[in-house]
Amino acid sequence: MNLHHYLILAALLFCVGLMGAFTRRNAIVVLFSVEIMLNAANLNFIAFWRYSDNPELLHGPMFTLFAIAVAAAEVAVGLALVIAVYRHFKTVDLESMNTLRE
Amino acid sequence: MNEVIAFWILSAVAVLGALVAVRKRNLIHGVFALLVFFAGLSGLFLLLLAEFIAAVQVLVYIGAVGVLLLFAIMLTERVAGDDGRRMTSRGWPWGLVAAAAVFVLLLLSLWPVQQLSMPKAKDPSEFLTQISDPGYDGKFGTEENPEFGEDDRKPVEQLGRKLMNPYVVTLEVLALLLTAALIGAVTAAQGVRMPKEDDSPE
Repeated sequence: MNLHHYLILAALLFCVGLMGAFTRRNAIVVLFSVEIMLNAANLNFIAFWRYSDNPELLHGPMFTLFAIAVAAAEVAVGLALVIAVYRHFKTVDLESMNTLRE
Repeated sequence: MNEVIAFWILSAVAVLGALVAVRKRNLIHGVFALLVFFAGLSGLFLLLLAEFIAAVQVLVYIGAVGVLLLFAIMLTERVAGDDGRRMTSRGWPWGLVAAAAVFVLLLLSLWPVQQLSMPKAKDPSEFLTQISDPGYDGKFGTEENPEFGEDDRKPVEQLGRKLMNPYVVTLEVLALLLTAALIGAVTAAQGVRMPKEDDSPE
């Protein structure tokens, strides 16, 4: 296994997430697409760390650890916002939230 | 060789899990596919010798984020999902085209990386051949020839020390961020109670 295998896999996962975020109407599915993209980025961090010149500095796991914590905070706030939006519009369909356009 | 097989199986699990999670109409099934994706990614982290990150992935994503998503779905949509309406957004072919374009762009930018040959000493397969040896003592490298050095044998301990020494400010900022996120999430989900007009006295 070489570095580019991991990078190509991470690129593929990122684009699957991107596809989900672009094509689905449900706000919760868009949230988990964003989670898929964040995880693909984490895979890149770890792969670059393991194939770097001095992995004993542990830069990769450290950054990934912080990224995971921030992503967890993001998903908690995001879901709270989805619940608040659901209470207001009675739906989580992104296309029916067009108040600003009307 | 074992590592190559494990890589292909885990990446197939991760990609399929992500695809099913993104395309499934039933949201509950989608969340379970997402959990499969997280588990596959955790296996890939193990393959890259980031065992602590793999454990954190299981704890935070499969444990916390999965349950949180399930609760959010049960609090909002009907369990069956989009109740027969259109699943994709308007102009979804453009989204598909954009995602494919980003993928091609990333592949093109990865082309030079493929030409590089990575140092063999850092290759994780060394470690995997070592732990498949029956006489493995739980340590990295050998006494005579420590390929990763003394410090790298206890990566989790090193990670903890680094969190306390150079990264302590980052850790505190992160603690602040998590507290703020907690309060913000509770406040946002609780909603604002509007005083009703007919409730006013007289």
